[in-house]
Amino acid sequence: MAALKAGDSFPADVSFLYVKPTPETAEITACGMPTKYDASAEFANKKAVIVSVPGAFTPTCQNTHVPGYINKLSELKAKGVDQVVVIAFNDPFVQAAWGKANGIKDESIIFATDNEAAFSKTLGWTLGPRTARYAIVVDNGKVTYAEKEAGGDVGVSGVDAVLAAL
Amino acid sequence: MSDPKKGDSFPEGVTFGYVPFTADKASINTCGLPTTYDATKEFADKKIVLVSTPGAFTGTCSEKHLPGYIENVSKFKEKGVDKIVVIAYNDAFVMSAWGKAQGVQTDDILFLSDTETNFSKKFNWLKGERTARYAMIIENGKIAYAEKEPAREVTVSSADAVLAAL
Repeated sequence: MAALKAGDSFPADVSFLYVKPTPETAEITACGMPTKYDASAEFANKKAVIVSVPGAFTPTCQNTHVPGYINKLSELKAKGVDQVVVIAFNDPFVQAAWGKANGIKDESIIFATDNEAAFSKTLGWTLGPRTARYAIVVDNGKVTYAEKEAGGDVGVSGVDAVLAAL
Repeated sequence: MSDPKKGDSFPEGVTFGYVPFTADKASINTCGLPTTYDATKEFADKKIVLVSTPGAFTGTCSEKHLPGYIENVSKFKEKGVDKIVVIAYNDAFVMSAWGKAQGVQTDDILFLSDTETNFSKKFNWLKGERTARYAMIIENGKIAYAEKEPAREVTVSSADAVLAAL
């Protein structure tokens, strides 16, 4: 078990769970079915940012962390980011609802589940049963940025830090 | 450990996780802070309907189980019910958001977390890591009705079934 750092290959066999957004399930009280998101396969030929938050609908995550990525999505895309994936330990139904609550109804930002915090556990980046607050940039299978917050605030895992590193 | 039945006392020491609804945090994107809801103490002198659902924001729960309770709050009150308490394994933040997504803005219906399924575990009324789908009527600390769904449909734990038992 070791944290990822810039220069590492993104591990194989990393998958998350998510509910694909569809027009039929756009309402927050409508639910789709969870499917697997094969992160290792998806990131092999893309530039992606993984943002891990300790919990859906929790104060810092909601007020400070996720909105930053939503507001600066176009800046991220201008720097070549193909996909932003927000993960937490919450199940895919909750993650899907959280995405909708944040006004995301498509795959511009994917809200997915790190099931049983399995991926985060491989990094040692957990907070009890939850995933810790961190951000990882994967560029065609290579990790170019991997930073975990040391304290309670959003710093190295925030969108500004990630934009500066892209 | 056995099924709860009519005539049993509601167990001692039962608490749930709770983010109270407040007007200044009414939007689903704002989060309050969790506190402990002392269920044993609160239920000792009230008539309570306790509804357990396998998960916040999941299909049957949002579309078929919960709406019956929300639409019929006044009928429950006419039968002397002080509060409807909805529980699931999800944490208190998620339960609070689910309540808001369902449009509940009063404390007639509380959305609480059966933290680590500690309460549902007492009866082994679980569904994997989640709480099973069931309903209870508790009158002044005594269980007056306790029924768990045998299958996927909402029958004995529905609002209609519980109203008929009140």
